[in-house]
Amino acid sequence: MINTWAWIIWLGAVLVGLWSTRNPVYLGIIFIGLILVWRLLTTAIEKVDPAERQRFPFSPRRISLIIIIFSAVFNGLISQFGETVLFTLPAWIPYLGGPFTLEGLVFGALNGLVLSGILIAFIVINLALPVHSLVRLIPRAFYPVAVVTSIAITFMPNTIQQFELIREAQAIRGHRVRGIRDWIPLIMPLLIGGLEKAMGLAEAMTARGFAGQESSESNRNLRICQVVGLVLIFSGWLLQSFSTRDTLGIAILMLGLGLVLFSLWKIGRRASRSVYKREKWTGYDFLVIVFSLIVTVIYWLPLVNIDRSTLFYNPYPFLTSPAINPSILFATFGLIAPGIFYGFQGIPNKIFKKPASENDHF
Amino acid sequence: MIIFKQVSYTYPGSKKTALKNINMEIQTGSFNLVIGASGSGKSTLLRCINGLIPHFSGGLLSGDIRVLDLNPVHATPKIMSQHVGFIFQDPEYQFIVDRVEDELAFTLENLAIQPEEMHQRVEYILELLSLRSLRKRRIDSLSGGERQRVAIGTALTLQPEILVLDEPTSQLDPDSAWEVLDAVKKLNKSSGLTILIAEHRIERLLQFTDNLIYINNNGDGLISGNPRQVFSQIELVPPVTALGKALHVKPLPVTMEEARKSLKNVQSAQSARHQPLQIEKSPRESFIKISDLEVSLGKTRVLEHLNLNLQPGEILVLMGLNGSGKTTLIRTIVGLVSQQKGKIFIQGKDASGMKVAEICRQVGYLPQDPNTLLFADTVEEELMVTLRNQEETGIFDDLEGFQLEIQKALTRLGLENFSQQYPRDLSVGQRQRTALGAVTITNPKIVLLDEPTRGLDYSAKESLGILLKEWRDAGTAVLMVTHDVELAARIADRVAILEDGQITACGDPAQVMRRTKTFTPQIARLFPDTDWLTPADVTAGSESSGLGA
Repeated sequence: MINTWAWIIWLGAVLVGLWSTRNPVYLGIIFIGLILVWRLLTTAIEKVDPAERQRFPFSPRRISLIIIIFSAVFNGLISQFGETVLFTLPAWIPYLGGPFTLEGLVFGALNGLVLSGILIAFIVINLALPVHSLVRLIPRAFYPVAVVTSIAITFMPNTIQQFELIREAQAIRGHRVRGIRDWIPLIMPLLIGGLEKAMGLAEAMTARGFAGQESSESNRNLRICQVVGLVLIFSGWLLQSFSTRDTLGIAILMLGLGLVLFSLWKIGRRASRSVYKREKWTGYDFLVIVFSLIVTVIYWLPLVNIDRSTLFYNPYPFLTSPAINPSILFATFGLIAPGIFYGFQGIPNKIFKKPASENDHF
Repeated sequence: MIIFKQVSYTYPGSKKTALKNINMEIQTGSFNLVIGASGSGKSTLLRCINGLIPHFSGGLLSGDIRVLDLNPVHATPKIMSQHVGFIFQDPEYQFIVDRVEDELAFTLENLAIQPEEMHQRVEYILELLSLRSLRKRRIDSLSGGERQRVAIGTALTLQPEILVLDEPTSQLDPDSAWEVLDAVKKLNKSSGLTILIAEHRIERLLQFTDNLIYINNNGDGLISGNPRQVFSQIELVPPVTALGKALHVKPLPVTMEEARKSLKNVQSAQSARHQPLQIEKSPRESFIKISDLEVSLGKTRVLEHLNLNLQPGEILVLMGLNGSGKTTLIRTIVGLVSQQKGKIFIQGKDASGMKVAEICRQVGYLPQDPNTLLFADTVEEELMVTLRNQEETGIFDDLEGFQLEIQKALTRLGLENFSQQYPRDLSVGQRQRTALGAVTITNPKIVLLDEPTRGLDYSAKESLGILLKEWRDAGTAVLMVTHDVELAARIADRVAILEDGQITACGDPAQVMRRTKTFTPQIARLFPDTDWLTPADVTAGSESSGLGA
């Protein structure tokens, strides 16, 4: 399995790439690379356990297509710039009336490509990493926040499923959504059910020994520290926003933030925890990290020998062929690195089946 | 050892005592089955053992409780969690992370247990509960039974001496339920854990039960002892014991093996074959007619070449293993799932192209989880909402018509005294009847029920059976999907078996229910050469042949 840190760095590189360029060639390579990584990952997961198929019920390709088409048409309708007019909508149509241009269409499509790329990158991370691996990355000071986040993520698929069941159940009673009030039969059971489940989980956690810490003098002081910190943050924000003494406001805000972070850090240090399994580093992890860092550096830093102007592409006022820099082009292919791992190594033996040697020490 | 002395408890804000003067003693290493009607106080009793009561719920607790020489009230649930593992009803909401192995380790990490020891404990539990193959699986991809085994595993990581399970199978299908109960039996036998389990499916556990604890209604007193002693004093008994009681058999049979021995002479009365009541089929057209139906969900073919009819005035019970397509069939009938091929006719009209709401004016459909329907402030309002939704169809012309219809429905459902109560405050059975009212207030001629007995106790199931028979007698066609073979044996006019998306048997319950062991009721297994399905069939058959036990 690829190390969690390697995945996070890869995700960072993908986001840097997507945010930094509108060059259709680079964006196309990133997008195809993401689809490839997703495909190889899902194939490998499915091969090991067909039951996991339910985790990818929809195709990112189809969703991407919808996003790209919607974005392209939407931008084409509202932009009305560009010289290649495809057709003209009557001027009496508010906001939309005017020329519909090829340039507007292309610019919208490129934005759609970026949005779909971000979506697929997060889908890949969600598939590749267990929640616990992400929770472990959170500093100990924020342990309670990590547990809450973990629960929220674990609850999410169930909540979506539950909403679907409620929607169907109300539909069979003849319910239709025609206005805001009609959402009540859908939202209320979800909300009440959610609260009931939260109570159930709280009870289950209490039964498993997740009780609050005993109240002590120092704990009380830390809580007071947090409250004072929050009051200072709010006061600083008010001063900074609504008075001329904005420097003082920022100073108070920073002091408040410092107090909150300090108290969280102190509380976190008291929460003694151990780690069940430390993740191992392999050559593949370094490969993924190196390729991801190359992408990040090339896309972000103004290196002398690389012409970064090719990152910027503007289809207006008329379409031109995008310029390409070979270094950026080849670096972009580096984002496929996790796919290389799944394609050539496969994850079955790495993730799901424990190697015999791992049990040796028991 | 667990000792309760004069324990009474009242929930906060309640005037009613949930437990009254409870006295009991539980021996170390014993297997204890706790039974009683819904709301009798089983869960309350169990929550006293690990201190969840009063620490989590608040309220007034009096008397003395000792668990392994600890007082749970003083020790708090945090300390008690290391001695008492607790498993809840719903497997869905007991987990914090998403993978099996991570979930097992999470509690240990939280207690800062050393990695070496953590590994040993996790491996031991994976082995003990046969979870090795699932160790890397996501919890949301597991079956209900597998999830409940993982929940048991998480409780066992703290190495408790006592395992308490509060109706752990009430939300599970029979296969998953047996899987969990087998694991619990194994834990008691191989690890010597003291087990306390509140459970409605008592038949499977009785042969392992050392001590049966029956809580009277409203937690008012308790009877405990060996199952035979307790069953001789109460009415809540499994079918073979009910038969033993009806035939005055001594000693009273509790398990199938005992029943086979003690009811030998009844069993040999082959000549006294009881002919079940034949339902005279109406010559009228079927209410639902399904021909050559094919349905796929994604790439998976769920139903194929399926043909089925539902006649007016009959109860048709549809049974089948998990994933055989039962729920999909019902959802297809009401239009929630679209078919690839075939026709569905509802009261003679082709349903293809009809909207869900339009179909559901003729068909009342109760989904598996009645809570998904309930959102109003009162039971009455809940029924009113459906009528308002259908208002534009002109089913009832005025408010007076509405009110009259609601009152009739509440009486029919036995909810007239609860009309102003908040539906989610009611018992499981009452909630379900409220949901049933919400989907049948338009007086549909067809009622479809998907697993309506999930989480119901014996008396609630009995009430449901009576209600369905009344509807049947009034000409309504009822199609019920259930795993509950005993209820099916009592009320079905016809039984259909769905296997791999196809109806493989359909007809007389006495014949169809004998085809597969999973769907054979206790009495049919006890008397394999007769048509008997229920204790009532046996007593009627025995009387007609002049035989007794």
